[in-house]
Amino acid sequence: MPVVELSYSSLQKLIGKTSKKQIADSLPFLGLDIESEDKDLVRIEYSPNRPDYSTDFGIALGIQGLLGIKTGAIKLKIKKSKQYSISVKPDVAKVRPYVTGIVAKNGKIDDKTIKQLMAMQEDLHFGIGRKRKKSSIGIHDLDKIQFPLVYTTSDRKHKFIPLNSEKELSINEILETTEVGRDYGGLLANFTKMPLILDANKETVSFPPIINAAVTTVTTKTRNLFVEVTGINKADTEDMLSVVATILQSAGFSLEAVQISGAKNSTPKLAERKMTVSPLLINQTLGLNLNTSKIVSSLKKSRLDASAKGKNIVCTIPAYRFDIFGPMDLVEEVALGYGIQNLEPTLSPSQTLGQTNPISLQLKSLSQTMIGLGYLEALNSSLTSKRVLYEMANRDPKTIISVRDSKSQEHTILRDSVLPGLLENLSKNIHESYPQKLFETGTVFSSDNPISETMNLSAVSAHQDANFTEIKSVLQSTLKTGFDLEIKTKTTEHPTFEKGHCADVMIDDKKVGIIGEINSKIIENYKIRVPVIGFEISLSESILKSL
Amino acid sequence: MLSQVFHDIEKKIITSLKDNPKQTPEILQNSTGLSPDQIRRGIEWLKLKELANVDESKSSIISLGKNGKESLEKGLPERRLLDLLENGPKKLNHLQKELGPIFGPAMGLCKKNNWIETTSDQVSSIFASNDELPGEKTLKQIGNEQLPKSLIDADDLSALLKRPDFVVEEIVKTKQITLTDSAKSINLDASSGGIDVEAKVPEVFVARTHPLKDTIDEIREIFVTLGFSEIYGNMTQSSFWNFDALFTPQDHPARELQDTFYLDGISAKKIATADQIKKVSESHKKNWRYQWDINEARKMVLRTHTTCVTIKHLAETKPDEARVFSLGRVFRNEKVSYKHLVEFNQIEGVVVGKDANLRNLMGIQREFYKRIGITKIKFWPTFFPYTEPSLQTMVYNERLGKWVELFGMGIFRPEVTKPLGITKPVLAWGGGIERIAMLKYSLDDVREFYNNNLSWLRSATKCQ
Repeated sequence: MPVVELSYSSLQKLIGKTSKKQIADSLPFLGLDIESEDKDLVRIEYSPNRPDYSTDFGIALGIQGLLGIKTGAIKLKIKKSKQYSISVKPDVAKVRPYVTGIVAKNGKIDDKTIKQLMAMQEDLHFGIGRKRKKSSIGIHDLDKIQFPLVYTTSDRKHKFIPLNSEKELSINEILETTEVGRDYGGLLANFTKMPLILDANKETVSFPPIINAAVTTVTTKTRNLFVEVTGINKADTEDMLSVVATILQSAGFSLEAVQISGAKNSTPKLAERKMTVSPLLINQTLGLNLNTSKIVSSLKKSRLDASAKGKNIVCTIPAYRFDIFGPMDLVEEVALGYGIQNLEPTLSPSQTLGQTNPISLQLKSLSQTMIGLGYLEALNSSLTSKRVLYEMANRDPKTIISVRDSKSQEHTILRDSVLPGLLENLSKNIHESYPQKLFETGTVFSSDNPISETMNLSAVSAHQDANFTEIKSVLQSTLKTGFDLEIKTKTTEHPTFEKGHCADVMIDDKKVGIIGEINSKIIENYKIRVPVIGFEISLSESILKSL
Repeated sequence: MLSQVFHDIEKKIITSLKDNPKQTPEILQNSTGLSPDQIRRGIEWLKLKELANVDESKSSIISLGKNGKESLEKGLPERRLLDLLENGPKKLNHLQKELGPIFGPAMGLCKKNNWIETTSDQVSSIFASNDELPGEKTLKQIGNEQLPKSLIDADDLSALLKRPDFVVEEIVKTKQITLTDSAKSINLDASSGGIDVEAKVPEVFVARTHPLKDTIDEIREIFVTLGFSEIYGNMTQSSFWNFDALFTPQDHPARELQDTFYLDGISAKKIATADQIKKVSESHKKNWRYQWDINEARKMVLRTHTTCVTIKHLAETKPDEARVFSLGRVFRNEKVSYKHLVEFNQIEGVVVGKDANLRNLMGIQREFYKRIGITKIKFWPTFFPYTEPSLQTMVYNERLGKWVELFGMGIFRPEVTKPLGITKPVLAWGGGIERIAMLKYSLDDVREFYNNNLSWLRSATKCQ
């Protein structure tokens, strides 16, 4: 979840008459989690579906609504203008077909605002831009640009001075030597022609989706902004632009349109949408009985516009609220505007009778049996390591099922056996008093179209007098008591066990597991100073009853 | 008084203390013939039974220093001066030669006390030579021994204490063992043949279920009594059921390698029915505007939530009325820390019914928390890709003094249910079980549940 750092005092200024406490109390009811607070500063976690909450301007709009200070939809006021235009050349169609943009004038930009705009841009890139793949954004100093602009392509030798650089670099150099070039160059890897926005003097403005030109850098002296968004889908670029436009207008800028034309591009409308929702759906879903005017006022508190039309409610949704897919999203907006704290939980009687899964019941009985025999239950991860599973237990890896790019070396492959984990547990407890007896029931994995999951039981016992007879008695008694099953043991060899002290466990002449004294080398490797005995059996096939 | 049974060690100590009521452990050692360790244990046992008092005190021990020892052998410097003058006055330079370095101090002291008279070059004694000088008695008393300061005449000792390195004072701690009144009346001869039922016994450890399993079982039980039936599903799932069927677009950040464990090179051949695949993919294309790729949906993952099990169940059974839950391990590709595990348990349940609503969902949560002993809860809005509206429960952790997030919940989006042919509202909720178990066992480090640390497993209280 993305995080934004804000100050209460600036929120207070933006919201109007309100106290710090009111703000802090309201934030969670917008769906914003306060991650930490330090006097005036507050760090807020917001959902990636609400990029408008990436700045204090957006959050202020939300709190105004919730507290009833200002309600209803935020309307974009975009001045029509022929002064600014971008013409699109057909050659961009293959690489990044769409561009859109807007001009924002006469705003004040301090360091804090620049920081916030940068953060918003990054969050937009990451979230709805899908790491700049779907859409990406460039914010420029308008006064450094000569309109009209052209969105076109060039070859990789094209040179300009990119942001944060002092000298001219070719596109290839940018992709190879700059951090953003390396991070996002992959998006252009399959193309020879590179997308570029050039101004009337053929000066480079932007090389989307990688980097802006240095000349248009926004500073605290900048008063007028030009925002461009490029992408692979027209709707996505306009969604992204609508968030930025809404935030900039809220930050005090006046918006002016940029005319876009050519190669299936057109000037963005950033228009509101209408959506109809029935009060019945709202009341049924929320378990309430709200009248239309309460629904309308709740929607307005969620910064939407709404009015009753016949039996239905017609809702007006501003462009930046593209997280609203359908009427059910409006139900949530009503709930938020109404206030989640005002929803009283009710316990409705169950129409169904509950049942524990028979497998769970049998596993529980099995646990009780093992406990009766003096065994303590252990729990280990199913995602473990080659070290535990094969190296320490001296087992041959057959087919290893591994996960990709694990962040933890201890968790890289799925276990095909439970016993090695228990041996590892004994090794971590050599300073504790003996006897030590552990058991575990757990899922093991094997490759089988594509993966089969079965339940195993394993147990180990470690103490001075541990021997084969003891562990066979335990297993025999467990299966007799638990499932009225008789076992036989048949001499075998297994690298985890001591030669001549190891047997296959058989039920009705079918092998279900292995039992014996653990190989002394393994015990030694684990620095355990007493003999260890153990078994592992598969429960799924012959033992657990499926009902 | 009740007859008591004593260990031989205790008997010997009591007998000795009856003869000699105040002894140090060292003296007891001599009087009983026991080893220092036996004495230590015996005293400890008697103290626990309130039969012996142990008074610790500090005392000073006095012994002679270098100058004191020299004085013991040759006499105090002033005595040696007076001895030289016994047979009449002597010349100063003669005395200086005889006495060497002690001449100065001896002269000073004798003059100060008016034991001698001096002229310009001659010294004579006016001291009655048979009298004892201050300090002489103490010097002899100490001799080559170490004596408690309390045994020495304080006035006489002070004469030596003032002077450099005549006596050495050491502070030592001593223990004095005495019998309590009840011990004094014990009749050791009246042996009962019983055993010491009040003695400490060795620890034995119970075999038990894992504490986390206890919490899991408790939670399972609660939901069964609330009318829910338990369903099972695999931990390895196709991306289709883990993500696509839950309206999580294929280019969503949550699906990336850094958050989700993908099984290396493993794809499922059959993931769902042709109709399910067609309708789910259409919902993605329409709402998320991208090219849906079936190969992406085939990729096998370790389930990131148990919701994949319930949605699959609902897609198969399409019930009009149902309460089911699934409980089991889920996985996140995260760095392991005191807060995060790569593998943990989750419970996730659904209520299907034509009248199911958000307040019912909240009511089930409130009832569940009440039954596990959590009464201070509240609900906050939140976001999940597959539910709308979505809420999370916040519960108050008394120990930490703050609100912590527990189960998430919501109503499955129509974009999830419609393509799978589920027509009635589905209330869904779920969350991590370790978090609840941490509250129950007052743990701050979630890793403890999987450390299998015997000292913890053997000591964690079963009924929380």
